[in-house]
Amino acid sequence: MTEESQALREDVPGGPENRPGPGSGSDGSPSRVRPTSLAETAAALETAAAEQQSLLFTGAGTALDWGAPVTRTDLVVETGGLDRLISHAAEDWTVGVEAGMPLARLQEQLAPAGQWLPVDAPTAKAGATLGGLLAGGDVGPRRLKYGGLSDLVIGATLVLADGTVVRTGGDVIKNVAGYDLAKLMAGSFGAFGMVARLNLRVHPLPESTTTLALAALDAGQALTAARAVMRSPLEPVAVEWDGERLLIRFHGTEDSTAARGRLGAELPELAGARVLDADEEEPAWEAHAAKIAGEEGDTVLRAATRPARLPALHAKLQELAEGSGVRAAIVSGIAQGLHTVVLRGGEAEGHAAALTAWRQAVHESDGSVTLRRRREGVDARAESWGPAPATTPLLRSLKQQFDPDDRCAPGRFAPWF
Amino acid sequence: MIDTALRHEFEAALGADAVLTDPLQLRTYECDGLTGFREVPALVLLPRTTEEVAAAVSLCAKAGLPFVARGAGTGLSGGAVPVAQGVVISLARMRQVVEFDPDDRRMVLQPGVTNAEISKIAAPEGLYYAPDPSSQVVCTIGGNVAENSGGAHCVKYGFTVHHVTALRVVLPDGSIVTFGGDAPESAGPDLRGLFIGSEGTLGIATEITVRLLRIPQAVRTLVADFSTVEAAGEAVSGIMASGIVPAAVEMLDSLAIEACEAAVNAGYSLDATAALVVELDGMEEECDEQFERVVALCREKGTTNIRIADDAAERARIWQGRKAAFAAVGRISPDYFVQDGVVPRTRLSEALGRIAEMSRTEGLRVANVFHAGDGNLHPLVLFDEQAGEAERAEELSGRIAEMCVELGGSLSGEHGIGLDKACSMPKMFGETDLAVMQQLRRSFDPAQLANPGKVLPTPRLCGEKPGRFRPHPLEAAGVIERW
Ligand SMILES: Cc1cc2nc3c(=O)[nH]c(=O)nc-3n(C[C@H](O)[C@H](O)[C@H](O)COP(=O)(O)OP(=O)(O)OC[C@H]3O[C@@H](n4cnc5c(N)ncnc54)[C@H](O)[C@@H]3O)c2cc1C
Ligand SMILES: Cc1cc2nc3c(=O)[nH]c(=O)nc-3n(C[C@H](O)[C@H](O)[C@H](O)COP(=O)(O)OP(=O)(O)OC[C@H]3O[C@@H](n4cnc5c(N)ncnc54)[C@H](O)[C@@H]3O)c2cc1C
Repeated sequence: MTEESQALREDVPGGPENRPGPGSGSDGSPSRVRPTSLAETAAALETAAAEQQSLLFTGAGTALDWGAPVTRTDLVVETGGLDRLISHAAEDWTVGVEAGMPLARLQEQLAPAGQWLPVDAPTAKAGATLGGLLAGGDVGPRRLKYGGLSDLVIGATLVLADGTVVRTGGDVIKNVAGYDLAKLMAGSFGAFGMVARLNLRVHPLPESTTTLALAALDAGQALTAARAVMRSPLEPVAVEWDGERLLIRFHGTEDSTAARGRLGAELPELAGARVLDADEEEPAWEAHAAKIAGEEGDTVLRAATRPARLPALHAKLQELAEGSGVRAAIVSGIAQGLHTVVLRGGEAEGHAAALTAWRQAVHESDGSVTLRRRREGVDARAESWGPAPATTPLLRSLKQQFDPDDRCAPGRFAPWF
Repeated sequence: MIDTALRHEFEAALGADAVLTDPLQLRTYECDGLTGFREVPALVLLPRTTEEVAAAVSLCAKAGLPFVARGAGTGLSGGAVPVAQGVVISLARMRQVVEFDPDDRRMVLQPGVTNAEISKIAAPEGLYYAPDPSSQVVCTIGGNVAENSGGAHCVKYGFTVHHVTALRVVLPDGSIVTFGGDAPESAGPDLRGLFIGSEGTLGIATEITVRLLRIPQAVRTLVADFSTVEAAGEAVSGIMASGIVPAAVEMLDSLAIEACEAAVNAGYSLDATAALVVELDGMEEECDEQFERVVALCREKGTTNIRIADDAAERARIWQGRKAAFAAVGRISPDYFVQDGVVPRTRLSEALGRIAEMSRTEGLRVANVFHAGDGNLHPLVLFDEQAGEAERAEELSGRIAEMCVELGGSLSGEHGIGLDKACSMPKMFGETDLAVMQQLRRSFDPAQLANPGKVLPTPRLCGEKPGRFRPHPLEAAGVIERW
């Protein structure tokens, strides 16, 4: 162990939960380390490599159980001490941050310059960090217009399992030099290394926002309405269906959002739609985010399909849920084909059965499913990742190159690798 | 070396008409848009399906033969230049539109479909494909994926990577995989995003799913002339700081204007030192309101003349001039190199100043026509091969790209690294960064058969070509060694 990382472990700032544990020896609880610089991070990982410790990277810890359960953790590497804004070139539309920076705080720091990162992860409120958001692939409704976090990453600094520090991409909003290693981190759940810094493209804050709401109990009706909006010239930034109503959001200049709301409500397929009052809008989206996050005891899945598949998959879900004695709700980014399913009530057996059968249905319609949180007991009864795709040998080969000793979140992608 | 037995195996797998061996025919594949690099391949294959590509690649893998994928060969970084004694796998016969789903705004394409064709097919449904490289009438979607190509509208719409949701790929061992899916997310790491921009070094894309956008309701375009490059640069800054996200902001300097006018007579003012093409698109109400603000901003920054396109024909004329710029330079110079570098937009004036200075010192003219909104420069270094200026011109062009890196930018914004700039990569990335990129490449291609010698520097390539290889400062000082 280098002197620096030794000192680091003994002097972890924060509350008692951040103090180094007794190590993975005696009582099996992992040590914790909370580096405050890139050099400290690299040193800590280098030491961990020498000691063959397995690693769990954690930001705010809001999504640590997503993916398959990690089978062994000797050292928890917290990114909370890496939370600085490194640079903000407002005129160049770029910002550099450390990966432990919470999304919500970054937004506060960008706002005075009239800018934001157009990412609205449901977990921003809970302190979700940029590193965790990238690794967890968590993206909110506005992805429709602005893309996901990974689309906004223009460069990154990574620390690999052995402490190697790697830079990828650059600092400018357009750049194709070299491989984009940040993409390997997107949706990686910490299994390929740690994100230490991110360079991001920011956007000007929209002048104004408005939301249309349409009661829609039927998935087919919701899809028809969503398609009508997408065909119109109105350019929505989000179109979401929660099983009961369709929410359609617009950004733009003051005048244009007013016109968009008005014209949207006039579309025949949206008959009955209503522009939400200014004081209704934020609460409506917050309630929507809460539905996506789910609650303790829920099982939450994320599925990606062609949008047209929604009605059939929705019907299938209801049928399976009924058969398994659970309640199922779907929240769908209906114009993009990104669906979050929340299973609630009933027993773990029912959750596992509904999850497995519905996932199969999604795979049969060429979609993919990621398991997020789940009810206790589900892991013992259902595989987290389902059947291995054709890319599995490649993923294994990547894992072998980047983390040859399988120390980064071992088990996270079981049974694939 | 390709023996007869192996040639017969290729013929058995793809059909005799899909295997070219005639030296004259092979010669037509010797280079891409960057004509300075040439190499005649041993064999050219013309598969028609994913399975045939897989069969071809499997045979290459078995025989240990390097292969290079090829689209239309418009690449400007030498990415499609064959490898000596290697195979070229041309995707030119894979030109089918596999599926068009206007409801979900997706199109599934074989890699040889041209960029412009996608939008043409989508147009009757009111849809289009956003990335629009100037070469769009010729270049292929497969080449676009390999280069992560951009175009004039990147500031607002992004690059190829933002518009491709899925790829069917033949990996360098001949296996067939799918990256991504029908929606913009899929389970696990983003292999789709990793592959896009990999310049044919990680495998061959054989089927590409793109997302289509609705054709904007309104488009407004203007050309604003300025008497100095600095003033034009300030106008760009003003627009970008105004809260407006323009669809395109392009700049042409006087030399580029002269060339464009000589070639296509697009109506640019010959007396302007710099011209800006600014385009806004979107919903009519908003577009008009913001366009007025842009016009006012240009006036505020001292524009000497504003030409507003009244209709689609006039707009097309403006773009014709802009998009013809590279070739147009042929009107004012016997030869030229196209460079592609990026600087932070706020350092545009500085970068242009330094280019002018370098141009003066070298005694070679440099025309500038570029994507100003995102700081993506395209300096065109003019020279006369007959007069023996080629080497100096190439050197100047290379130094300009490296100057971009010094200013905090990038070696390439859209044309890729290819063969041309592989030896400059150590200017932008450290030794470790490059070593890890090499690791990534090895995970896909342990035998190093897919487009070898491109993107990453190799001692052989960079050592052999005197003048092109400049060692990393630490290397020169003996602190580090090339791996
Ligand atoms: C109670 C609760 C429930 C939630 N449920 C949902 C939900 O159902 N759906 C939803 O959309 N969102 C949900 N979220 C939001 C989600 O947790 C976040 O979007 C985000 O992914 C987590 O950020 P984090 O900083 O908390 O990451 P963490 O939870 O700390 O980590 C997430 C994953 O990323 C890895 N990781 C973290 N940081 C790094 C790094 N720097 N480098 C490499 N890997 C890293 C971790 O190992 C882990 O695998 C929920 C949040 C809360 C508070
Ligand atoms: C006049 C002119 C203007 C241009 N303007 C622009 C511009 O505005 N923006 C821009 O981004 N580029 C521009 N380019 C560059 C070029 O057109 C793009 O890079 C284009 O994407 C190349 O496509 P291609 O089909 O010609 O590919 P090629 O030149 O044939 O190949 C390019 C690279 O892609 C690889 N490749 C090709 N097909 C596949 C496949 N199916 N799978 C895997 N790898 C493959 C090749 O091996 C090679 O490395 C311009 C070029 C010219 C000549």
